[in-house]
Amino acid sequence: MATRRSPLLLAAAILAVGLALSVVLSEYNLRLLNLSVITAIAVIGFNFAFGLAGLISLGHAAFVGMSAYTVAILTTATGWSPWAAIPMAVAGTVLFSALIGYPLLRLKGHYLALATLGLNVSFFIITANWLSLTGGTNGIPGIPQLRLHGYFISGERYFLRFGLVFLAAVAAAALAFQRSRHGRAMIAARDDEIAAAMSGIDVTRVRVAAFALSAACAAVAGALFAEHVRFIAPEDFGYVHSITYLAMLIVGGEGSVVGAILGAVLLTFLPEWLRFLGNAYLAFFAAMMLAILIFLPRGLVSLFRRRAPRRIAEGRS
Amino acid sequence: MSDLIQLFVNGLALGSVYALAAIGFVIVYSATGVVNFASGQFVMFGTFAGVSMLLDAGLPWAVGYLAVFVVMAVFGAGFFACLYLPLRKSPVATMIIGTVAIGILMQNVALLAFGSWPFRLPSPLDGLSVHMFGAVISAHALMVVAVTALLVGLLWFLLHRTPVGIGMRAVAQDMRAARLMGLEVNRLLALSWILAALLAGLAGLLLGPMWFADVNMGDPIALKAFAASIIGGFGSLPGAIAGGIFVGLTEVLGASYISSAYKDLIAFGIMILFLLVRPQGLFGERIQDRG
Amino acid sequence: MKLLQACGVTKVYGGLQALTDVDLTVMPGESVAVIGPNGAGKSTFLNVLTGLTPPTTGRVLFDGTDVTKLATHKRVRLGIGRTFQHGRLFSRMSVLENVMTAAETCRRGGDGAPRETAMRVLERMGLAAQAAEAVGSLSYGQRRMVEMCRVLAGKPRVLLLDEPAAGLNSGEVEQLVERLAALREEHSVAVVLIEHNMGMVMRFAERILVLNFGSTIAEGTPEEIQSDPAVLTAYLGEGYSHADL
Repeated sequence: MATRRSPLLLAAAILAVGLALSVVLSEYNLRLLNLSVITAIAVIGFNFAFGLAGLISLGHAAFVGMSAYTVAILTTATGWSPWAAIPMAVAGTVLFSALIGYPLLRLKGHYLALATLGLNVSFFIITANWLSLTGGTNGIPGIPQLRLHGYFISGERYFLRFGLVFLAAVAAAALAFQRSRHGRAMIAARDDEIAAAMSGIDVTRVRVAAFALSAACAAVAGALFAEHVRFIAPEDFGYVHSITYLAMLIVGGEGSVVGAILGAVLLTFLPEWLRFLGNAYLAFFAAMMLAILIFLPRGLVSLFRRRAPRRIAEGRS
Repeated sequence: MSDLIQLFVNGLALGSVYALAAIGFVIVYSATGVVNFASGQFVMFGTFAGVSMLLDAGLPWAVGYLAVFVVMAVFGAGFFACLYLPLRKSPVATMIIGTVAIGILMQNVALLAFGSWPFRLPSPLDGLSVHMFGAVISAHALMVVAVTALLVGLLWFLLHRTPVGIGMRAVAQDMRAARLMGLEVNRLLALSWILAALLAGLAGLLLGPMWFADVNMGDPIALKAFAASIIGGFGSLPGAIAGGIFVGLTEVLGASYISSAYKDLIAFGIMILFLLVRPQGLFGERIQDRG
Repeated sequence: MKLLQACGVTKVYGGLQALTDVDLTVMPGESVAVIGPNGAGKSTFLNVLTGLTPPTTGRVLFDGTDVTKLATHKRVRLGIGRTFQHGRLFSRMSVLENVMTAAETCRRGGDGAPRETAMRVLERMGLAAQAAEAVGSLSYGQRRMVEMCRVLAGKPRVLLLDEPAAGLNSGEVEQLVERLAALREEHSVAVVLIEHNMGMVMRFAERILVLNFGSTIAEGTPEEIQSDPAVLTAYLGEGYSHADL
């Protein structure tokens, strides 16, 4: 049962399923799976902010984009090695998120949602128009490949194996974190802010930490994305993607790492599976989303968790 | 100087459309607590209802406009029944995704029905212009401002002087108390959605001749309506009007005098600034969060 | 040595005077009750003591240091614990996890692991059997006990209780009084109690502070308070003059 799964088991399961799929899937499906793996990392990050701490951020894609652009600019314009650029991108994104977190996180509910949405829109406008730095809407092509032991990590299959290691590590760390006192402090701050303060929890700091952690995962996802597609443009990080992350988490099951992964994989593949519907596929997709929201409000993970539907599986220790 | 006047009137007209969209958004928010992310698609539906009635069906102006309002009212009622009622007890975030999903659905239904080719919705005042202080101003832009002003007056009358409107305000302030007083809360909530849809329909009809009508026009309008309501004050009708006009003016004036690439950044920058420094906006509620 | 001290606490909301110049001194291990009619400002007073509401004027001292400007969570870590009128729990956690949150933030040198601390408190308060249960499945009385356990796991030196007996049956009230008495005796925890259950107040409190319309109208031992005319006026109203309020 999902409730008792330890972080290491989860990591092992991700690697086993992923590696098995990397052998059997076609090149095209592998590409989608790579995208799902990268997206899953971002959604696991979003779960810190929304699932644990209850922060409705609609600017998550801007953090993904900020990191991807940092990697792209450092590797193309200044010729850094990707291995040096990635940590730099993650550190820069986390720092930025913490700095804006302090003033921003005084807002709650839909105020925070709209402020972060505005942030994401602003990020898009800047990347689409700052030609000398970002190449505008043409984006940045030719991001150099990652090299490991002198070999390029090229081709969908090899990249998948590489990405899976990141996903497994992030998922295991997220699960362990969620069960730790820090994870509990985040859940407490969301459940009852005043009771949390009365339990000695520094609610502001916990919120900023959740926000920064979510940005850290987003940054890892962004760096991987830049290295995977090797060509990035502003529309890869529009606010629509932020809303998609929220949708993935709610469909998968908020507050759950497994739910975050399920939601990311399902909503990445679903549009492709619906291709046969032609132009109608997005309409059908939206109708399905509505059905899930109405009939399965606690997400897909609640299907596996009938006995204690009110509890957060991974919150348990 | 004549340029400035022309830009000012155009900004005012665009701002009026944003204000109409923002008012619809605010009416729904204060009555039901729902932040409607599909409010841009509501406006888009208004424009396309106009396209099908005026262009496709070739109805005369008055009949066509009336038909659009009927369609929008039915749509608002349907939205209330099919989305709001089943999801009304969900958390804020679920409601956000729900309205986003509805927006995607509407956009793609419109895509299936009308294709991706843009239309130009005619205006009864097409080709007419007014000369003022040496500036040439399109009669349609002036009409937009006048119609919006008239409508704001009517709306004020509805909300403050009629039993239905007073009931709607009572529901917005305290749903439980309104129910205890014997008001038919659900009917009034449905009315708020219908009113929002009607306002969006009007915004769509007025906007259609100013922009090219295309099925993707919803999101930019919704973003401007959000910015307008935050700047004016979330949940406040005068705020929505002031905010809408402010956003329209910054967009048009900013594009010519500052930078056309960054014109939207100004509005969103100001919105974020307001959220951080004065989250209640110009006229809004004091509480930081009611959701 | 004074443990908790409120000096001239005044709180004004808009035009409403919620608290006017309220003083209170609590010694270690002492038990004080704050009573008064509904709306007298009792909960506001606790909010000021815990830092949830900043006072308009006046100071709060804990263990000799001024904590008036100190954030709530820091006061909690110093040793000010509090329960709420209707009990506030973390709904997405089990009973044990609820109690662990405070054990984790308020660890001091020499304490065991938070989980053990939390289990010990639960055992002591008779809730060990429910440790793994979701808080949603508990009775009202149990929920309030869990909240009490969470506060105790933070090792408070003063315990502020907002109507702890409300909604409990007489047996549960009896147990509560016994456990609080034991806490005072063993760890010299001071208790400040807001309560409408006069039986509990008279039996438990060594000293009583009476508030009405935000002002102190009497302070003294239970015997003194029971015979105080101003208190009778505040509670009974009719037949007494309001001029002296």
